[in-house]
Amino acid sequence: MTEPLLRVEDLRTYFDTPAGTARAVDGVSFSIAPGETLALVGESGCGKSMTALSILQLVPEPAGYIAGGHVYFQGVDLLDYTWEEMRRVRGADIGMIFQEPMTSLNPVFTIGWQLMEAMAVHGKGRGPDTRRRAVELLTRVGLPEPERLLRQYPHELSGGMRQRVMIAMALANNPKLLIADEPTTALDVTVQKQILELIRELQQDFGMAVLLITHDLGIVAEVSDTVAVMYAGQIVEYATTRDLFRAPAHPYTRALFASRPSRDQRGRDLITIEGIVPQATAWPPACRFAPRCPERWPACENVAPVYQKLASPGEDQTGPAERGVRCHLYHPELARTRPEQPATLEVHP
Amino acid sequence: MTATPLISVRNLVKEFPVRRGLFTKRQVKVAVDGVSFDIQQGTTFALVGESGSGKTTVGLMVLDLLPPTRGEVLYAGEPIHARKGRERLALRRQMQVVFQDPYASLNARMTVAEALTEGMMIHRIGASARERRERAAELLRQVNLPPEALDRYPHEFSGGQRQRIAIARALSVEPGFIVLDEPTSALDVSVQSQVLNLLRQLQQDLGLTYLFITHNLDVVGYMADEVAVMERGRIVERGTVDEIFDNPQQEYTRRLLAAVPSVEAALR
Ligand SMILES: Nc1ncnc2c1ncn2[C@@H]1O[C@H](COP(=O)(O)OP(=O)(O)OP(=O)(O)O)[C@@H](O)[C@H]1O
Ligand SMILES: Nc1ncnc2c1ncn2[C@@H]1O[C@H](COP(=O)(O)OP(=O)(O)OP(=O)(O)O)[C@@H](O)[C@H]1O
Ligand SMILES: [Mg+2]
Ligand SMILES: [Mg+2]
Repeated sequence: MTEPLLRVEDLRTYFDTPAGTARAVDGVSFSIAPGETLALVGESGCGKSMTALSILQLVPEPAGYIAGGHVYFQGVDLLDYTWEEMRRVRGADIGMIFQEPMTSLNPVFTIGWQLMEAMAVHGKGRGPDTRRRAVELLTRVGLPEPERLLRQYPHELSGGMRQRVMIAMALANNPKLLIADEPTTALDVTVQKQILELIRELQQDFGMAVLLITHDLGIVAEVSDTVAVMYAGQIVEYATTRDLFRAPAHPYTRALFASRPSRDQRGRDLITIEGIVPQATAWPPACRFAPRCPERWPACENVAPVYQKLASPGEDQTGPAERGVRCHLYHPELARTRPEQPATLEVHP
Repeated sequence: MTATPLISVRNLVKEFPVRRGLFTKRQVKVAVDGVSFDIQQGTTFALVGESGSGKTTVGLMVLDLLPPTRGEVLYAGEPIHARKGRERLALRRQMQVVFQDPYASLNARMTVAEALTEGMMIHRIGASARERRERAAELLRQVNLPPEALDRYPHEFSGGQRQRIAIARALSVEPGFIVLDEPTSALDVSVQSQVLNLLRQLQQDLGLTYLFITHNLDVVGYMADEVAVMERGRIVERGTVDEIFDNPQQEYTRRLLAAVPSVEAALR
């Protein structure tokens, strides 16, 4: 097995709030190998962005803090790094694209200045070469008239153009790991396709690994190798993309997949997930999904499920990635306490 | 022969003045360039296309919120832009809109009750404040929110709940036609399914007609009866969902369809 590039272990990121401690990320573990794309999916508020920000040590302080865990990058725990050391890692070895592009570009500097600055900070120097590469990058993310763009300011660009500039900046130094939080939500499908293809090319050429956060299950299916499904600050299911879509194990994953509209569902009600993600200050005590789960039985409300390995059903298993799920349905003893029921997903009234 | 369409859009053109430099000549940007389509009562017509192709601009003109440069919109056979005063107000009531961002369309300082009764007052629906409040509670029930929500403010709700409040507000004046401009684009799939189920339910119960503007072709496949594909201000192709998805005639439509990430295609 290839040594993982990134190994996150029991990561916990909490917030002090007037309502108590919000456990936004609550014991998350996963790893990403060089060249691999791991997708992090789940509903709004389940902790995806906070996981990404924790890896980069950009959790909003002082309310938020990393309460425990390890973030091994190339074998070294980034949580031991100083702010200055971390600053050098960000943007060089780890590129990042955030959810809100406007806040990450400085309104008073030109696009060219910011892009070349990002390249210069990390040791490549400034010169005609930098400029040539800046133009090349802007072209690669599909921006027209890159020469002109270098002289423009962020406010002169549309949201989609700004997002593409952000992507160019994240890729400027050929990072080993790209953390992309909803990188293409503001973009058109055709531009989105171009960006996803560019990322894939960089993975093939340089072995770049990607942590991709997205709501779009179509994107997950098309670009990711493995998927971690998050719910209420925890990973509830982990599998190769193929296994996950073929046979989602966790009732949450199943409901998430089944709620996707499509032409096949015309004229029928879509499956919905009853209720909403609870507050991070008050996760349900045992299984966090239990109150919304169509399969729940008393054990789910009394015993917290642990994350356990699952046999992979995939016949053409390509990687060594293991499967795991956090649900009593797969617990050898507790599953037996479940009253007899058809194992189908039911629509809630 | 079909009945008179509820909405009939004829050769709509919208030009916006653009100022390039201080001393250069005045120029115009043609945002919508001769768009025509009909929407039958009780059906859903989807408008798809790349960003900037003119979808929202068409929607705003259909709603009489933006005057067209040329062309006209007929509501039940009658031109809308010619109407004045009381008649125009009556039409405004018939046509409502729900936008992508429910934060932007709900006034943060208004309680849900105020938001839901504002339109009723303008259009003189409900005899008393009490009756209007009862109607508001009933609207919340229709969109699956508890009556306690009436006295709360928009920020106290999740994105999907806010979008349902925005839909309830659109319904508060008993419209016949709703423009839905990316109504679920900001929502989780799980919440999106709630909103889509609700929209379909309302269409069945109340015979509503929708103009559904979206980037999301999965949603189009699920919701729409007819689809028009826009490119640079023009409709390049139009047809039923099956026609457009299974047998696209235009290169642009094929490109658009191919660009949409699809679970089915990826796992084949
Ligand atoms: N500044 C903060 N103070 C308190 N709690 C916070 C703060 N920021 C985030 N949280 C909590 O952390 C949890 C996780 O938030 P996060 O932004 O990671 O969600 P997400 O999965 O990225 O959602 P989305 O899909 O909406 O981006 C949420 O429940 C949120 O309430
Ligand atoms: N008030 C205005 N002044 C100048 N140009 C405008 C104005 N409103 C819209 N436009 C331009 O008209 C074109 C069509 O815009 P419109 O918002 O209708 O597109 P759209 O298809 O809804 O795009 P999106 O999918 O991004 O919402 C765009 O090029 C836009 O920049
Ligand atoms: Mg997020
Ligand atoms: Mg628009």
